[in-house]
Amino acid sequence: MDPGFLDLELIAMQLFSGVALGAVFVMLALGLSIIFGMLGIVNFAHGNVFMVGAYAGVFVMERTGSFWAALLFGPLMVGALGLLIERFLIRPLAGRSPDDPLLLTFGLGYVLVEGVRILFGSDGLPFATPEELSGVADLGIGFFPIYRLFVVGVVALVLVALWYGLERTRLGLIVRAGARDPEILRVLGVDIQRLWLWVFALGIALAALGGVLAAPMRSVNPEMGNVVLGEAFAVTVIGGMGSLMGSVVAGLLVGIVVSMTALFAPEMASIAMFAFMALVLLVRPQGLFGKPGLGV
Amino acid sequence: MQTLDQTVVAAPPKVPRRSPIALDGVSRWRAPLSILALLALPFLLPSQALAVNVLIYGLYAVGYNLLYGYTGLLSFGHAAFFGTGAYLTGIGIGAFGLHPLLAMALAVVAASGLALVIGTVSIRSRGIYFAMVTLALAQLVYYVALQASSWTGGENGLRGFTVSTIDLGIVSLNILNPLTKYLFVLAFVGAALALISRILASPFGAVIEAIRENETRARACGFDVERTKLLAFVLSGLFCGLSGALSAIHLSIVPLDSLAYHTSGTAVVMTLVGGAGTFFGPFVGALTVLVLEDVLSLWTPHWQLALGSVFILFVLFLPRGLWGTALGRLTALRGHR
Amino acid sequence: MNPVSNPILEVENLGRRFGAFTALEGVSAAFGEGRITAIIGPNGAGKSTFFNLLSGALKPTSGSLRFSGRDMGRVPQARFAHLGIARSYQITNLFPRLTAHENVRTAIQARTRRYDFWSRRDALTGLGTRADEILDAVGLSGRRDRTAASLAHGEQRALEIGIALASDPKLLLLDEPTAGMGPEETKEMVALLRRLGESRTILLVEHKMKMILGLSERILVLHHGRLIADGTPSEIQTDREVRRVYLGQSGGYGYA
Repeated sequence: MDPGFLDLELIAMQLFSGVALGAVFVMLALGLSIIFGMLGIVNFAHGNVFMVGAYAGVFVMERTGSFWAALLFGPLMVGALGLLIERFLIRPLAGRSPDDPLLLTFGLGYVLVEGVRILFGSDGLPFATPEELSGVADLGIGFFPIYRLFVVGVVALVLVALWYGLERTRLGLIVRAGARDPEILRVLGVDIQRLWLWVFALGIALAALGGVLAAPMRSVNPEMGNVVLGEAFAVTVIGGMGSLMGSVVAGLLVGIVVSMTALFAPEMASIAMFAFMALVLLVRPQGLFGKPGLGV
Repeated sequence: MQTLDQTVVAAPPKVPRRSPIALDGVSRWRAPLSILALLALPFLLPSQALAVNVLIYGLYAVGYNLLYGYTGLLSFGHAAFFGTGAYLTGIGIGAFGLHPLLAMALAVVAASGLALVIGTVSIRSRGIYFAMVTLALAQLVYYVALQASSWTGGENGLRGFTVSTIDLGIVSLNILNPLTKYLFVLAFVGAALALISRILASPFGAVIEAIRENETRARACGFDVERTKLLAFVLSGLFCGLSGALSAIHLSIVPLDSLAYHTSGTAVVMTLVGGAGTFFGPFVGALTVLVLEDVLSLWTPHWQLALGSVFILFVLFLPRGLWGTALGRLTALRGHR
Repeated sequence: MNPVSNPILEVENLGRRFGAFTALEGVSAAFGEGRITAIIGPNGAGKSTFFNLLSGALKPTSGSLRFSGRDMGRVPQARFAHLGIARSYQITNLFPRLTAHENVRTAIQARTRRYDFWSRRDALTGLGTRADEILDAVGLSGRRDRTAASLAHGEQRALEIGIALASDPKLLLLDEPTAGMGPEETKEMVALLRRLGESRTILLVEHKMKMILGLSERILVLHHGRLIADGTPSEIQTDREVRRVYLGQSGGYGYA
């Protein structure tokens, strides 16, 4: 075998692996950014919502045997939970310090983790790759796992749907206007509270969807949310909080950085991600797509 | 000539007339009074180990409070300083055979240095990023420690550096004796409290509070806000590093958890539950949380659910914490001057 | 417009753009010491931007700003207070949980100590005395120990000015000092401003025409980011451009 050829294929596979990993990061960062852009809060329970999503997927899988049902109903169920959370825990904090929702969601994280432990136990649960999506596909330059292709596809679909919703619908116009200047919405008579309620639930559902998608690729256990939280933050900081484009670019970039680092020094992969974030912060504190300036 | 205060009708204030941050005359004595209260602690609590933990985590929370309660910067990565203080103390004693006090001193310097680095990176980011960046950077430190397992013991933590006596030249402290250990730790905590009280009462203390109250105005007044924040960050890292060093001496092991998200969260919880921005509040918070953990874990393995719920209730209904609310009521009772 | 000799403040062709939007353009004026000058204009005319430029919160994208002959283009905002320029804010911008006394004293401290961790600040009586003097000057001696958040609106506006006075500025920029005040409170504020104007240069942004006409010696009128008039109150009142702008907007000179 020609070693040069092997290298290229390996790199291509690793790159793609990075894109698949990045796709999950994108889902996480999107939800965080949307929630922040609209409500102005940093959701410290986001990682744990991701985890709850994975468990919701397991739950639906067990009941129905269908991965597609899990993919649809898992995020919906968790999104509904998000509605309750916004309505009863976050809304009462309106008008108070912006730190308060952050602190509350932080506490909520503990509740979610322990809740999952009570319902599903502390050990990890298996989540098998669905039959239809297992195996590899030969794409000429190499063999790529079909499931990962699927994940990238789903995320791409979600991105298109979001873009369409934001850019082409009236509701999207309201959301974009509100993210820039909530006062305008009040003047226009838009029911801000309902808007925030649903946007929050959307952000939560996106994280949960990420969890279901990621479940076959990593171990499903109650601690996975806390691990992922720091990663989600790193990606969002790199991309720029509140910027959807930033979430996408940063998510993919980080996925690739981690994946390529794993090729040469697997134990340094996580370190590479956070080191990358520190580097970006030193050069461009507002993130790649964030707006410069002081304060919130 | 008429003056404004004669013609203006005073609107009833919804905000407390005087913040509970300093009770005037009492505040001069807050350090000695706190130390006195802490002296009584081992006789009030069921176990000495718990009492020492209250001291250690109380100091950790006090150091954290300097940055959060007084300067207004919400960090979620303070485990990095606690853990660094702990690990370097253990490594200094175990791997280099240093005298425990020397190891502690070096560990504290290292924690302060780390705070300088982390602070520099995180303070220049916009306000909302701060919590996220500090969390992520602490994760970086965590993974580095996990990787450097030949030094840190990796997943299993650092062991093999048991300290049973501390040689002070003229006298040798047997810290296997619970009371001696308590007084040894209290000596450091007391000194730290005195220092912190002094710092808070200084002009520097006024600046950090101004930054907390209104950062833009502080800048417009002419304060170098970024540099002041960095100084507060380093001081905070210093005292949290000290608490970590004491923890290492106390436990004779340093678990990897010392650097984990949960430990960062612990600082936040204790400070908020006790009373952010009050002097003694963090100790009240540490005591409350540690006792709650002990009691709840007897009752159910899922005590974190209860703790998380309690914390949520505090954020919603008692944001000034136990001590903070009590002080607030007290000053309201004292009436107008 | 009369030429000003030894101006304390000079702006030449001053402008500020935000991307494609030009908030201020081509403003040139020279301000003499010890005068009270008002800046007026309809909403969106660029008054806030002008003030932000003068106080260093924003840097100009065109033109220059000179204070006592010194080019301020590269000077960071925090240095402005040290050089003698202070401003108050249209939306009350105080330290809410500090007392009125502490609010002013902290502002004074900004000019004096550097990174002092050790002294007891209560023992630094010089600062405290000066703070009390300022509180007296703005009429808040009776409210010395109340938290800023608990003060009545008019008192908060006075405290705003008190904080600005703390740096002993030569130039005071006051952004709508009577915002939200009724007629009685406004009269008090005017009296205060007249007192202060005896020893300082004051630039103020205001909407209350009757008040401005009575108080200021000179008025600048901004519209769509440009300076359309600059003169004495009587000159401004008869200026055709100004009348067109104001009458066209609201049918009058606004409320007094």
